[in-house]
Amino acid sequence: MFETFVNRARALGTEVYRAGSPVAAGQLIEKLIREVGAKKVALAPAPLLDALAVEKAVAAAGAALLTSGGVRRRAEEADLGITAFDLAVAETGTLVQDATALDRRLISMLPPVHLAVVSTDGLVDTLRHAVNRLAAGGVPGYLAFVSGPSRTADIERVLTIGVHGPGRVMVVFVDREGGSVQ
Amino acid sequence: MNVQDLRRESRRALADKNLGGALTRFADSYVISREEIYRGMDFQALREEVARIKGEAARRLEELAAQFTAAAEKRGARVYRAATAQDAREYIARLARERGVELIVKSKSMASEEIHLNAYLQEQGLSVAETDLGEWVIQLADQRPSHMVMPMIHMSKEEVAEIFSRELGRKVEPEIGSMVKLARKELRRKFLAAGMGISGGNIAVAETGTVVMVTNEGNGRLTTSLPPVHVIIVGLEKLVPRFKDVAPILEVLPRSATAQHITSYVTMITGPTPAEGPDGKEYAQKELHIVLLDNGRTRMAADPVFKEALQCVRCAACLNVCPVYQLVGGLFGDVYTGPIGSMLTAFFTNPEKAGEIQNLCLGCERCREVCSGDIDLPGLIAELRRRTVQKKGLSAGQRLIFEKVLTNRRLFHRLLRVAAAAQKPFAREGWIRHLPLFFAGLTEGRALPAIAERPFRDLADALPGPQAAGPAAGARAGDAPGRVGFFSGCLIDFVYPETGVAVHKVLTALGVTVITPPGQNCCGYPAAQVGLPEAAAALARQNIAAFAEAGVDKIITACPTCAEALKFHYPRLLAGDPEWCDRARELADKVQDFSSFVFEHRDVLPTAPRERILTYHDSCHLKRRLGVAGQPRELLAAAGGKVVEMAPADLCCGFGGSYSIKFPELSRAVLERKLQAIAGTQAPLVAVDCPGCRMQIAGGLVHRGSPVEVRHTAEILAESLRRQGKN
Repeated sequence: MFETFVNRARALGTEVYRAGSPVAAGQLIEKLIREVGAKKVALAPAPLLDALAVEKAVAAAGAALLTSGGVRRRAEEADLGITAFDLAVAETGTLVQDATALDRRLISMLPPVHLAVVSTDGLVDTLRHAVNRLAAGGVPGYLAFVSGPSRTADIERVLTIGVHGPGRVMVVFVDREGGSVQ
Repeated sequence: MNVQDLRRESRRALADKNLGGALTRFADSYVISREEIYRGMDFQALREEVARIKGEAARRLEELAAQFTAAAEKRGARVYRAATAQDAREYIARLARERGVELIVKSKSMASEEIHLNAYLQEQGLSVAETDLGEWVIQLADQRPSHMVMPMIHMSKEEVAEIFSRELGRKVEPEIGSMVKLARKELRRKFLAAGMGISGGNIAVAETGTVVMVTNEGNGRLTTSLPPVHVIIVGLEKLVPRFKDVAPILEVLPRSATAQHITSYVTMITGPTPAEGPDGKEYAQKELHIVLLDNGRTRMAADPVFKEALQCVRCAACLNVCPVYQLVGGLFGDVYTGPIGSMLTAFFTNPEKAGEIQNLCLGCERCREVCSGDIDLPGLIAELRRRTVQKKGLSAGQRLIFEKVLTNRRLFHRLLRVAAAAQKPFAREGWIRHLPLFFAGLTEGRALPAIAERPFRDLADALPGPQAAGPAAGARAGDAPGRVGFFSGCLIDFVYPETGVAVHKVLTALGVTVITPPGQNCCGYPAAQVGLPEAAAALARQNIAAFAEAGVDKIITACPTCAEALKFHYPRLLAGDPEWCDRARELADKVQDFSSFVFEHRDVLPTAPRERILTYHDSCHLKRRLGVAGQPRELLAAAGGKVVEMAPADLCCGFGGSYSIKFPELSRAVLERKLQAIAGTQAPLVAVDCPGCRMQIAGGLVHRGSPVEVRHTAEILAESLRRQGKN
């Protein structure tokens, strides 16, 4: 399933990474922040990000974590946004997020680069399964399905990346301690 | 707009090379990538599932609207049911005024186009910014979208650069990447300043009050996340009963629309969510208003025929494959364009105009093949035409031809014989290149074949039967039926009798006795096509009677359009006639096209392969209505033909019966693409299974001075028959 996700997501332009444990994930995120060259990072707090000590990774990468001001300002100022996702759909290379909280929506959309973090256990095979799973538990206020960077082909049908949302999307899959099944 | 105006406008659209070129290039690559993206999936099963869901929703429209309203309101949204476009516009304008909104950002919504929302809001002194890149450019250029999914497909990057330069007051280079960046920057400012966001919706779930939106650019997510007031405008036809119904629609929509597995963003909104205003003010819950738009939809749901159009998911596949839309773009429609656009125009925006634009349909039926909602689009267009004719009537001349001449076989055939004699001054080597006066348009860009001196019906009796063809022939036929009726159709009878002779020869070689009942008349398709089902039904009765008398096991035609009429139209035309409905079904069951019949018995066909290079043209009604495409190719190959495929082989030739008379320029423009495809193969021979396609393609080739020949598959097979009794 993971392999299917990787193939599909990469075809859409998503960069896919995987960490064997929460600790490894923290280190990987630090490395990715350095590679992006991000100086200002915004993140939408989530238990998954806490578990990986992402805040520490931001500092270790030499970037500033934006904490003051409203979420609009933080998201607009950041050159990298980090948010946690709930599911990943192998069939379509899609990440699914309960984005009812405003910071998740804005931090995953306004900065030019987005780093998504998802638990490997959140992988499902098909879109149908994802929808059925979401239907079962009471539908959240705002569900976001994200498949690759923001794109347009409006001018002469030439595919162009990063029109309104991020032009670069990375995802880090986090295996649970001791390894995930997938 | 009458047919004359439409013809004039179509000439203007044809002159716009940019539009036709962009649409055609897109269409060609679309067909390939669409096929690719559905590979390994059962499209038919999938669209039947979508049709079931949407069909159920159309039947339960009121109930689902009430359920949706209750569910969304329970989550904190306000739902407003707008009966008309004006109600919807006023509600939104009032809301904006009451909230002191100055700037509104909008993401793409066809429903808002339908009600001309922008113009109205601007009249009310509000600023509205479209934020979908294409829609924004269209707005800046003060045009209207030419395609449901790709609104500015008709524009070049140079035109876009010019529009940007004018808007920004500085020179913008026509470089796509930098223009997209520029749009991002300009529109981001508007997003952050806007007091209200207006979006559309692709699906509305009654069970949960959820609205689903499918986008690629991300402007939809910003429109629904940044402003503290959000208005969703969604048509009643977007309702589905259950949340799980979303999945099948999500499986077809992006695949059919843009050949994507999924769009970059799929957003599902259920009730209001937190927001932060442009001034930094935090809202625990923003204001969410959902305008449920009727504007003709309940009327459509109540219509016994057109309710089917509510199964549409707005993927625009029917536009993308339509050969006429590819040439004229937005002219084929109003706010909504293309095949489905005709129906939506009739019920939502401009019934008068719908009655006219339906004339542009060629009847090639390509749209039905790709429809994600399994809608019989050609059938609905025919119904639209019938109702238009019922209301406005046909010209006296047309009525005379269809109701008085065509249905009176003796008179019709006598006139054809008179015409055969009268055409002599204009005919040369079997072709008419110029016709005088108002007939001139017919021969512009295309030569017409002359009417044969002796029709097939005069030759049929003298043709040898299986016994005469050789003693072994009958025994070889195996499971072939003993007596087969041949329905020649007018074109083979009066223009291409040689095809009839060839059909007779091939069938006889299978050991079959071929009967050509003299009482047969025109199949009625042209009468149904112009919107006169009564005249078509009269012809159906004549033909049913003629073949019943002949007592045959099978009825073979070498004209796919006649086959479609006999097999599919007759049972429908006579469904309400207790005396004839069973007989119509009985006849329909016996009808088969020539090639697939011969293919089934190919093992006993005595062939002496004759090597030659040829290309094959798929006739619309054969491939799409009868599902026959591989059989003639295999038969031709077995007869020694090396089939070089043209690309695309199944694009319509542009004949469309009377279409080529009504819109000769459009018909010719479609033909031109076909001729290019043929030229690309360098084959000296084109095989076709339809005399209408043959007439159109051969006429175009003769006019071009091309030596390429066009023959019916039956003729090529007849030439490769082994002489009976010789082996």
